[in-house]
This record gives sequence, structure tokens and C-alpha cells, in this order.
Amino acid sequence: MKETKRNFIMVVLVWITSVFLVSLVGAYYYVEFQKEKSANTVYVSMYNNLLKNYTSLLQNYTKLLNDYNSLAQSYETERQNLTRLLQQYESCIMGVNICIDYGNGTILWYNQTIVPLRCNLLQATRMVALVNSTYWPAYQASFVDAINGVWNKCAYYWMWYCWDEESKAWKYGNCGADLYFLSDGETVRWRYEIPNYTG
Amino acid sequence: MNCRHIATLTVMAALCIGIQLTPRPPNFEFTSLICFLSGFLFGPWFGALLGALTMFINGFLSPWGFAGIIMPFQMLGMALMGFAGGTYRKLLGNDFSSSKSLNFESACLAAFLTLIYDIITNAGYAVLFNLEIVIVLIAGVWFSIIHVASNTILFGVAFHRLVKIIGSLAGESL
Repeated sequence: MKETKRNFIMVVLVWITSVFLVSLVGAYYYVEFQKEKSANTVYVSMYNNLLKNYTSLLQNYTKLLNDYNSLAQSYETERQNLTRLLQQYESCIMGVNICIDYGNGTILWYNQTIVPLRCNLLQATRMVALVNSTYWPAYQASFVDAINGVWNKCAYYWMWYCWDEESKAWKYGNCGADLYFLSDGETVRWRYEIPNYTG
Repeated sequence: MNCRHIATLTVMAALCIGIQLTPRPPNFEFTSLICFLSGFLFGPWFGALLGALTMFINGFLSPWGFAGIIMPFQMLGMALMGFAGGTYRKLLGNDFSSSKSLNFESACLAAFLTLIYDIITNAGYAVLFNLEIVIVLIAGVWFSIIHVASNTILFGVAFHRLVKIIGSLAGESL
């Protein structure tokens, strides 16, 4: 075969190869374009959804913020009212420490229990525990029968003490609990025991 | 085929496999050149046999894993490459013109034959995964371009020189 003819055939082969490859590249970019186009549609839709959600969220947030501000304002007003009320009542109340010793190792403390001024021990104890008592007209005093379901039984009775700051010791109560009036900051104790009353 | 041809075939196949298994950029290979050259020097059927044998062995040893159902397609593609080398020699006859012309023609043939090889192997891939061949060709277009371009350059640069070197070793005057 002559060289010119061969060269012509070679050029044709190269041309076919080039056209084929270029077509493939074109097709590749067309496919990529279609993919990106469809992806773009999805992204636009997602973006619109996102924008809608964001707008809705923003509206809800604004509403929530308004509610919160309104609530905070109400809270502040209420706090001021309560502070005023507390200031009014502060002159009518006092704090006492009440101890209940069950005699079996269980000792419960009710520190700084708020009670009304000129409150007696029985009333104060009723504020922290369930108390059963009997009024004895002969003594014009009440006798405590049970505290929190623990009843006087056999030789065991509920006895009360008050804390003596001077001697730093507990002192037996020498009257009925309803006859003993507490003072601000006082510490008292109930004890379930066999009385050892010597006073 | 005599003993000498069998020995040559074995050595060439070993050379091809050795190069095939050497780490290299994807789709940059020397097997096409060697098969085409073998076909050119030792006849079309020798080239075809070498191409098929090389791709058969490569199918089992390739670092990319067992070729599977694509292997026959690779064998066919490479056999075509080797056969084309022999046919080209027949077309040339004794007309061994300038090295420029031979380089140009071999480069053109390399581009076309590599494209055919890629179409055949992509067809195998399409059959294997039940895909449309056009889709597979489009997806692998950049690999095809690298393959075609690298083979075109390789043939254009090395073919004529290798023909001269191997021809003189074999005692032929080309």
C-alpha cells in the first residue's frame, strides 16, 4: 500500500477516534449538566423549604420572646408585691429550731421554722409534725400523746426540752407545751423517753 | 510455531506481565506496545496469541483483583492489538519509509486500536453489571482519554526505535 494512502487511512482513523472521544466528553458533560441541573432543582426546593421553616421559626421566636418579656414583667410585678407583703409580715413572724428525737437514733431537725410571734410550743410542733394531744382542764394545759404516730406507751413519753444558752445544756420543759411561748431563734427538742424528771 | 517462537512468546509474555504488575498510573501501560510490536515482528497470530495470553495471566495476577467476566474482553482487545501489528506489517510490505512516517502511522494506529480496546473492555463491564454500554463509555471517558493519549505518545516515540533494536537483535534489517 502506498504511503500517501496509508497516511490518509491513518488520518481517518485518528479523526474517527477524536470524534468518538470528543463525543464522549460532550456526552459526559451533558450527563454531568443534567445531574447538576436536577440537583440544583432539589437544592432550590430545599432552600425554599429552609427559608419557609426559618421564617416560621423566626415568627415563633418573636412570639416566644414577647411571651417571655410579658412573663418576666408579670414576674417582676409579682416579686415586688410579694417582697412588700413579706416586709409587712416580717414583723409578725419569727424563726425557731425544733428537734424531734424518736429515741431510737432517729433525730429530725426543723431549723428556722417560721412561726407567728407569740406562738406556743404545741402550735409550733404542729407546724412540722402530726401531733395528738389531750387537754387537761385541771391543769389548763395540753398533754402530748403522740408525735407522727409514735404514741406514749408503757413508761415512754414525749418530753420536751429547751436549750439553755447560758449553761449550754438542754433543760426539761416545766409546763405543758401549749403554755410555753417561744421566742425568736429559740431551740427546742421533743424526746421519746422514759422520763427522768427531777425538776 | 517452533521452539524459538514459543520461547520468544514466553519471554514477551513474561515481560508484559512484569510491566503490567509494576506500579504505574492508571491506564498507562506498555502491553499494547509490546503486543503490537510482537505482532509486527513475528506475525499477526503471534501478536494475537501474546495479547490474549498476557491478559489471561494478568486477569489472575492484577493488583486490581481478579478480572472475572471482563477477562475474555481484555484478551480479545489485546489480541486485536497484536493482530493489528502483524497486519500493519503486511500492509507495509517492504516499504519501510522514513522513521517519521512510521512513528506517525503507529501513533495513529495506537490511538484507534486503544479506543477499540477500551470499547471492548467497557462492553465487558456493561455486560457484567447489566448497564448500557454508552453509559459505561461516558463514565470512563477520562480513563479512555488518558489511555489513548498515553499509547499514542508511547507508540509515536518508541515504536520505530524498538522495531530497529529488536530487528537488529533478531538479525533482520528493518
